[in-house]
Amino acid sequence: MLNQRVQTFGVHVVLIAYSALAVGPILLVVMNSFKARNAIFGAPLAPPNAATFSLVGYAKVFGASHIGTYFTNSLIVTLVSMFLVLLFGAMAAWALTEYRFRGSTALALFLSIGIMVPIRLGSVAILTMMREAGLNDTLTALILVYVAQGLPMSIFILSEFIQQIPKDLRDAARCDGVPETRIFFEVIAPLLRPAIATVAVFTIVPIWNDLWFPLILTSSDSTHTITLGVQQFLGQYITDWNAVLAALSMAILPVVAIYVIFSRQLISGLTAGAVK
Amino acid sequence: MATVRIDHLNKAYGTARVLSDISLSIEDGEFVVLVGPSGCGKSTLLRMIAGLDAATSGDILIGGKLVNALAPADRKIAMVFQSYALYPHMDVRKNMTFGLKFTGVAQVERDRRVAEAARMLRLEELLGRYPRDLSGGQRQRVAIGRAIVREPDVFLFDEPLSNLDAALRVSTRVEIARLHRLLGATMIYVTHDQIEAMTLADRIVVMSHGRIAQVGKPLELYYSPVDLFVAGFIGSPAMNFFPAEVESVENGKARITGGSIAGFFLPAGPFKPGARLTIGVRPEHLAPSASGAFATTGMVELVERLGEASYAHVRRADDKLTVAEIRGRQTPSPGEVVKLSAPAEDIHVFDAENRRVEIRA
Amino acid sequence: MAEPLSQVVASMPRARFVGLMGLFLGPAVAVYTAFSIYPLIATMGLATYTNDSAGGYHFVGLTNFVTLLTDSLWSKPFWNAAKNNLIFFCVHMLVQNPIGIALAGLLSLPGLKLKSLYRTIIFLPTMLSVVIVGFSWNLILSPLWGVAEGALKAVGLGSLFAPWLGLPSTALVTLALISVWQFVGIPLMLIYAALLNIPDELVDAARVDGLGHLVLPTIGLVSILTFVGNFNAFDLIYSVKGALAGPNFASDILGTFFYRTFFGNQLQLGNPTMGAAVATVMFFIILAGVCLYLFIVQRRLRRYAF
Repeated sequence: MLNQRVQTFGVHVVLIAYSALAVGPILLVVMNSFKARNAIFGAPLAPPNAATFSLVGYAKVFGASHIGTYFTNSLIVTLVSMFLVLLFGAMAAWALTEYRFRGSTALALFLSIGIMVPIRLGSVAILTMMREAGLNDTLTALILVYVAQGLPMSIFILSEFIQQIPKDLRDAARCDGVPETRIFFEVIAPLLRPAIATVAVFTIVPIWNDLWFPLILTSSDSTHTITLGVQQFLGQYITDWNAVLAALSMAILPVVAIYVIFSRQLISGLTAGAVK
Repeated sequence: MATVRIDHLNKAYGTARVLSDISLSIEDGEFVVLVGPSGCGKSTLLRMIAGLDAATSGDILIGGKLVNALAPADRKIAMVFQSYALYPHMDVRKNMTFGLKFTGVAQVERDRRVAEAARMLRLEELLGRYPRDLSGGQRQRVAIGRAIVREPDVFLFDEPLSNLDAALRVSTRVEIARLHRLLGATMIYVTHDQIEAMTLADRIVVMSHGRIAQVGKPLELYYSPVDLFVAGFIGSPAMNFFPAEVESVENGKARITGGSIAGFFLPAGPFKPGARLTIGVRPEHLAPSASGAFATTGMVELVERLGEASYAHVRRADDKLTVAEIRGRQTPSPGEVVKLSAPAEDIHVFDAENRRVEIRA
Repeated sequence: MAEPLSQVVASMPRARFVGLMGLFLGPAVAVYTAFSIYPLIATMGLATYTNDSAGGYHFVGLTNFVTLLTDSLWSKPFWNAAKNNLIFFCVHMLVQNPIGIALAGLLSLPGLKLKSLYRTIIFLPTMLSVVIVGFSWNLILSPLWGVAEGALKAVGLGSLFAPWLGLPSTALVTLALISVWQFVGIPLMLIYAALLNIPDELVDAARVDGLGHLVLPTIGLVSILTFVGNFNAFDLIYSVKGALAGPNFASDILGTFFYRTFFGNQLQLGNPTMGAAVATVMFFIILAGVCLYLFIVQRRLRRYAF
């Protein structure tokens, strides 16, 4: 009995220690972003108090950069890409699962290549294509690239979900006289809602956090995403610790907030996708 | 006119034959039940009539029109599924009217049909509810309602009662029979339960291994099963079978003997000496008594008492069990040796190929 | 068993069926082919060309590849980057995956309280942008701030401290460990999900044989994902060290090498054809890894199928 207790205690110690390691650095950064400069260096591990509290860093971030624009750009790119990945992916997954035709297996395999091969390798040609299409330095370019990147995984995940939908439902719809397109949009699609969480996890996070494509495809400040924007700001103000810590915290806090709110869905989405 | 005709229908998945040479003619307004054990092809046949699966060869005609190439929506049929197949994200009313929109039925007419069907099936209170809030029986009624509003020529039922509990099965069965009388529509019903078949059908189609074993009115199948399989399938508890052979034939009489039965005589008719036979007698025709054209003896092993009727399981000479239905309060006890007998008209004879032999006087 | 072609599809006129497939599959296939597959092939094609100062392109076959692999002007940084990629990968395999497996094991112990809290906290870094992670650790490890130094001093290991990110000998491994810190959540989640899936009877039986066999497929999956994912580590290196991946190219990996080759930097002009060659080589390396993985998985699955 005692042995069991000691074991459990030991397990908790390890987990707490690792949790501290996981969350410590983040807490440190956020805490110190609210402190005055000398307090950051003088007592880095101390939380801000009345004497040391300061928002000078945040003022600099808002004043010197277009963080609002970056945030909006990231939001637009991520949400539109997610929507298109879900829409195109669900339609494709449905067509491949439901309508077996000659070459549908080959097509499915073709689409799944993208799961393993990083799209970045084609950047040389992508940049050329975008330039020629006049889409250089637009959010549209980013969206197109991210949709192409996210489709293989989303089709894979959605196919699994579609196979769980009882076949009787589409038989009943057919007997009912529902046209094939309406069967997809009004009978099948509403039932794919649980899949959205899983697809979202695999799509949203990589898009929001991506540095490569905004770096390559956007050149003007007005099209930068938040990841690129923060990276450049950090590079510029590298000696201004207040500003740097404030910028980092501003980039951290929204993600953490969303993560904490949706953590249950996110993690179950991830494990559901992984299980399949 | 909602007649259904099936001509030499075949279905094979690769090399596996699922249906072989099915031919069937169904009258307008008839209630036909397709019955048989799992894997006999009854559901496949139904799905082909619906148009959900394509035939390998053969023709299907609904209302005299060849429908082979038509999609389910164009065949004027409606199907009720074993799993109900209700749209989970739509309420009951929407479930029933969803398909109608696509057949060009006006809103006013749609509402009228829903109200009518809801009244018929006592669904008025449930129209705003969602399938997840309904019980199994209610869901089944909604599924039936969805079929009714389509005003089809033919109703197709695929084991609709299998997912319901016993009591609900009986009451829903009665509902379906009532609906048939009310609507007068042609109904094709698939089940593995021969009781449902016997109680609901105008005619029963018994299927086995992708073929039709026998088609006929329920009592025809009961009294004149065409082979051993149908004889053993129809009737519950199942018919008792006794191996026997023709010992001799003389003076226009054939003497039939067997390991577990007392020898008896049948009109000579088609019998030849030495022929192997199977004698069939239903449990309800066997009684513990000394007199009767047919007799078998054995020791009572178990008596199941259901009230007015009891079933005695009797171990006989060839070690098989004979089941006899015993009416009344007097029942034999386990361990007792009894003699069970049956009158001549309740004896079924099957030849070596398991086919029925007509006993001609 | 593949479901037979439905009657509905069979009875549909051919033109309508093609139209229907076009509607459903068209958008996905179009975007995917145009922006994922075609650029890859185009890049490989471009790698067989070279461009001169006037902007014209000449076909040169495999010359670029030969140059890349043997001409010391190119091959030295290339092999350096490739070697660093390998070290990066090894650090992940040796540190990230065992820690992930161990944590997954601990978290899947029956009856453990606060399970989801631990999971949420430990998975948090994976959600963050690499830029944030890179920079935060840059600050924490910086000798100017002294946080890391102070923490080590507090446990008596102060002498171990060094400006790791700034030293050529330790920069790469430090960056790799930062990446491990961030991404341990992925193997954690995958293995955790796999462990949840093992039916209890098998767990008891496996105590004798070792749990490894049952999670081996997932470990294989984690390995290949790590392998492919490492090629995207450009983001981290670039954020912390910039395109030059210093100090002295010590943290240069194939991703940064590719970026520099293609876009150029203060030391050299951008060279799209050589950049394309680097990308093509990277592709074949990844392809080799994936094929190896699929081959091994095939054989393993056949042996352990239950």
